Amino acid sequence: MNQRVTYTATIETIVEHSEDTRSLFLQLSAETRFSFTPGQFISIAIPLPNETRVRPYTLASSPEDGGPLEIVFNLVAGGAASEYLFRRRVGDRLSFTGPFGLFTLDRTPEIETIFAAEGTAIAPIRPMLRRALANAGSTPMRLFHAARTRRELLYAAEFEAAASRCPNFSFEPILAQPPAGWTGRSGDLREHIESIFVNGDDNRGRAFYLCGVGQGVIDLRDLLRKAGYPRRAVQYERW
Amino acid sequence: MARLRVIFESGEPERVIEFSPSKAPFQHDGQPGSILDVLLGHGINLEHACGGNCACTTCHVIVKTGFNKLSEAEEREEDLLDRAPGLTPTSRLGCQAVIVDEDAEIVVVVPRYTINQQVAESR
Repeated sequence: MNQRVTYTATIETIVEHSEDTRSLFLQLSAETRFSFTPGQFISIAIPLPNETRVRPYTLASSPEDGGPLEIVFNLVAGGAASEYLFRRRVGDRLSFTGPFGLFTLDRTPEIETIFAAEGTAIAPIRPMLRRALANAGSTPMRLFHAARTRRELLYAAEFEAAASRCPNFSFEPILAQPPAGWTGRSGDLREHIESIFVNGDDNRGRAFYLCGVGQGVIDLRDLLRKAGYPRRAVQYERW
Repeated sequence: MARLRVIFESGEPERVIEFSPSKAPFQHDGQPGSILDVLLGHGINLEHACGGNCACTTCHVIVKTGFNKLSEAEEREEDLLDRAPGLTPTSRLGCQAVIVDEDAEIVVVVPRYTINQQVAESR
């Protein structure tokens, strides 16, 4: 237990998605080898005045990238860790351990698979999808990404490109506050999941990967499992 | 006072903590009053890679005594425990198992291995 390796990375780039959402790109030294499975997180040491806390951040980048590791997060009011990370600048260093986590997908699924995430909880889904879509296949896959506004649909261009490239994949964003002229889905994630996959048909041969903040993802898990989807077919991570 | 005895399979010396569950939380991570909370709050480290948020299994402990003095495991904890190596019928996640009884006598073993332990290749 004590031989856990601590990595030190340099913040190479900071991307501001919005005033309270950022990505940090963490570059390890050239001689450091670090591997992870899509969906996993790293545990970043957050030095506070009287103690060091450890907080998990899911990797939004793909192992296939080979480049810096990307974490994406919101500034949480009063959240010491997110405030600390928001104060970091390019060139600053961060220490972490990992990778950790069991919410993973490392291959193309064999049955229809539904990915559903809210806001920045799209992070683990992004590398999972990239892996899932790496092999041309016919397994249907659908991504439901719920956000308040269009701006919060992180990586939307990438998902749209994947959808136009892969006929078996569809990207279905859901906006809580859709702009005028929006022709996509609106409302909340649960409504759509319930109407399509619970009330829409009797097929229970699907797999789900769900990620969100708080109780919503737990409610979604219960909804699907109670509707008859096998326990193991409903994988989830609550942030 | 409740008593928590911790045995480390890694060979570290065992520790005994006497505490009052009603004084929880003892620090910030894990459920207030959980085994993780009690340990960290008394200067004893237990791995908790996800920050005590029930998202990994690094705080897996095997409860030897006092299993029924702990809060019941929720589905989320069970889903994770299913994938913990060395799972036993009295396995719990330290971050979720809350000691509720003021006079509880709890004995836990911290296993040597966790599924999340990775052998990093660093040259």
